Amino acid sequence: MTNAERMLARKPKTWIMNGIFTAIVLIAVIISFQGSSINLLRLQTIGVNLRIIGRQMVDINVDFFFGRGVYAFQEGVIYLTIETLAIGFLGTLVGAILALPFSFLASKNIVGTKVAKFGEAILVAIRVFPEVILALVIVKGFGMNALTGMLTIGIHSIGMLGKLFSETIDNMDKSSLEALEAVGATTITKIRYGILPQILADISSITLYRLDINVRSATVLGIVGAGGLGASMILSAENSNWDILGTIMIAIIIMVLTVDAISSKLRSKLV
Amino acid sequence: MTKFTLQNGKTIVKPFNKIWIILAIVTTLVVIFSFFIRFEPSLINLSELGVIIKKMFTPKAGRTWGDYFGFINQLWEPLISTIEMSLAGTVIGSVLAIPLAILAAKNIFKSQWVYVPIRFIMNLIRTVPAMLLAVLAVYFVGIGVLSGVIAITIFTFGIMSKMLYEVIETVDMSPYEALESTGASKVQAFRYAVFPQVFPVFLSYLIYIFEINVRASAILGYVGAGGIGMIIKDNILYNYDRVGATLILMLVVILVVQFFSNYVRGKLQ
Amino acid sequence: MIKFVDVVKTYPNGTQALRGINLSIRDGEFVAIIGLSGAGKSTLLRSINKMHSITSGQLFIDDVEISSIKGKDLRMLRRSIGMIFQSFNLVKRMSVFNNVMTGRVAYHPTFKTLFGLFPREDKLLALESLDTMGILDKAFQRADQLSGGQQQRVALARALTQKPKVILADEPVASLDPITTVQVMDDFARINREYGITIVANMHHVDLAVKYATRIIGIKNGEVVYDGPSSSVSDEVLVQIYGRSLKHDELLGE
Repeated sequence: MTNAERMLARKPKTWIMNGIFTAIVLIAVIISFQGSSINLLRLQTIGVNLRIIGRQMVDINVDFFFGRGVYAFQEGVIYLTIETLAIGFLGTLVGAILALPFSFLASKNIVGTKVAKFGEAILVAIRVFPEVILALVIVKGFGMNALTGMLTIGIHSIGMLGKLFSETIDNMDKSSLEALEAVGATTITKIRYGILPQILADISSITLYRLDINVRSATVLGIVGAGGLGASMILSAENSNWDILGTIMIAIIIMVLTVDAISSKLRSKLV
Repeated sequence: MTKFTLQNGKTIVKPFNKIWIILAIVTTLVVIFSFFIRFEPSLINLSELGVIIKKMFTPKAGRTWGDYFGFINQLWEPLISTIEMSLAGTVIGSVLAIPLAILAAKNIFKSQWVYVPIRFIMNLIRTVPAMLLAVLAVYFVGIGVLSGVIAITIFTFGIMSKMLYEVIETVDMSPYEALESTGASKVQAFRYAVFPQVFPVFLSYLIYIFEINVRASAILGYVGAGGIGMIIKDNILYNYDRVGATLILMLVVILVVQFFSNYVRGKLQ
Repeated sequence: MIKFVDVVKTYPNGTQALRGINLSIRDGEFVAIIGLSGAGKSTLLRSINKMHSITSGQLFIDDVEISSIKGKDLRMLRRSIGMIFQSFNLVKRMSVFNNVMTGRVAYHPTFKTLFGLFPREDKLLALESLDTMGILDKAFQRADQLSGGQQQRVALARALTQKPKVILADEPVASLDPITTVQVMDDFARINREYGITIVANMHHVDLAVKYATRIIGIKNGEVVYDGPSSSVSDEVLVQIYGRSLKHDELLGE
């Protein structure tokens, strides 16, 4: 046997691990296809269906868009879109402000490791509720309106932002604090000049990112009665009112892309 | 703006502190948007809220605690469906995202005509909420787990392709150049020079997205896409206690997945 | 056989990197290209395997004019030309073995290579190349765990695995310490002698170039200002190429 052949025999057999991994995944994939009633008729005509749907979707229902004619202004897409934006924006703002105290509680640098773990646990507990579930519960107490949506997003954001904020605080560069200490600054001064300037930029960046995500969530929450486009969107899809869905989708696309662009632009300026 | 004059005659202008402008804009937006959050004070019923929460976590009249926790036995099957749904959708969506991410990466396909339209399509797909995808999927393939898988696949495809192309653009391109010089095609060069660098991050993202999808798929059932969500929908009107029990199980599962996710992703670093 | 006929390369921003190059390199030669940074050495080298395309003129590889070839033909051209880079250009996280195997990628259809299914002969070839370079025992280590000199040898093994007719080297030893430099240059010389592979190398260190190559080509401002045996390279010739006397770091020294 040549040296090369000897070496080849000693080659680590990575294919075993790869194989097992792939097998697990494939099994899961295959299993998930069972137990579904595939409506074969609809599937066969998927091409035709998509074309019909597509055509109807582009046929915008102008009355519905502006909220006139048969539709009250409050039911029109323009109103609902602004309502959705409002839910996302205000929810994020409230969430961000309320998240700050929680994040201090969860931050080792501020309250010490033991208390921080407790704070983290609280945040985890808040975060673990999917938004739709939160909305389902809150709607019982506050009614089927935008307020519910705003509260849902706000509370969920406390959990999400609280964790990210506390990480920012923990990763802070302490050298500026050291310098302030050497100059003889008081605690408040240290916070004002040492901590605040640093974290403000990061916190704003994180919040802007969350705003982007929250506006998208806000478009869906309406399905459980939290206001915004969600209800009309899901209901029109369930009832095959494609022209209405199309009108809504156009508004959503414009809104989300705009918020996305503004958010990215502002975040790049913050770095 | 404040103008300062020094002793030696030089003047310097301190520019506006931008903070005030930002605060002004934010306040304006807050005021405008507040008008859209209409609510009826008469509808606010915090005590009702309290009652419902209590109902969720105690057995309904005529049922025992045994029934309450026993209900969880009925949940195993939908739970497994939910997890399978998430796993399948995450994996398929992520794998499908790879070719698109390659096309969108400036360092591989340098022409504007390639990456600009591809990124635009990606953004478009990402604006469609997962819930809507689920409703549409149910329309085409009927109620059940398959529609959930389809919805999650498309959703994952949207997120992963963006995250992936951003990573690909930060990669060390020198082995890619070497591979091109040996005569490999773009795809081959990508597979052997770029992918090994990107793979650990890809796995990390995959697990992160899996975590997100487990939460999402628990809800997609609400519109008929299978899994635990359907149980919630069925019981939300009259059986709050079952909803509560389902919630508890769901929270435990999400926590476990989160834990597992953080652990594995930590090791991948 | 590599032949340049009136080759001109102008970059889009107007810089003229090559102004009318006329050269012939025979099979089996060991050619070193020297000159100031920016004189056009890198462009010259990279036009041989078409990593840079030329603006006008003709470039023949084995009597085939290459300015119009692309796609599959281009890849077939490139796979018979190996290239060594100053920063080794290995995939750091991958094993040495896998890095060397990438030399065979162009010999198989894309689909097969996607899954890493190489035939046994290819795997043996890769290991034999590593053995030739004296680092067979490092085959399954991660590439970034090796020293600079060893990594360059992995790169050489990768090139050898292509079974090339020519190896192009762009300042292959510029990142290495003096002792390793000599070892790697010895490897180049051995490959040239034992396998008859043509070597065309851009060299930063003039004394190395003269010591190892049989033929020196001096480039100044995109033109060939010297083309002859290394034995005839005198100080006047060097002043002509560099426009001044040599700096300290352009000599490896002893």
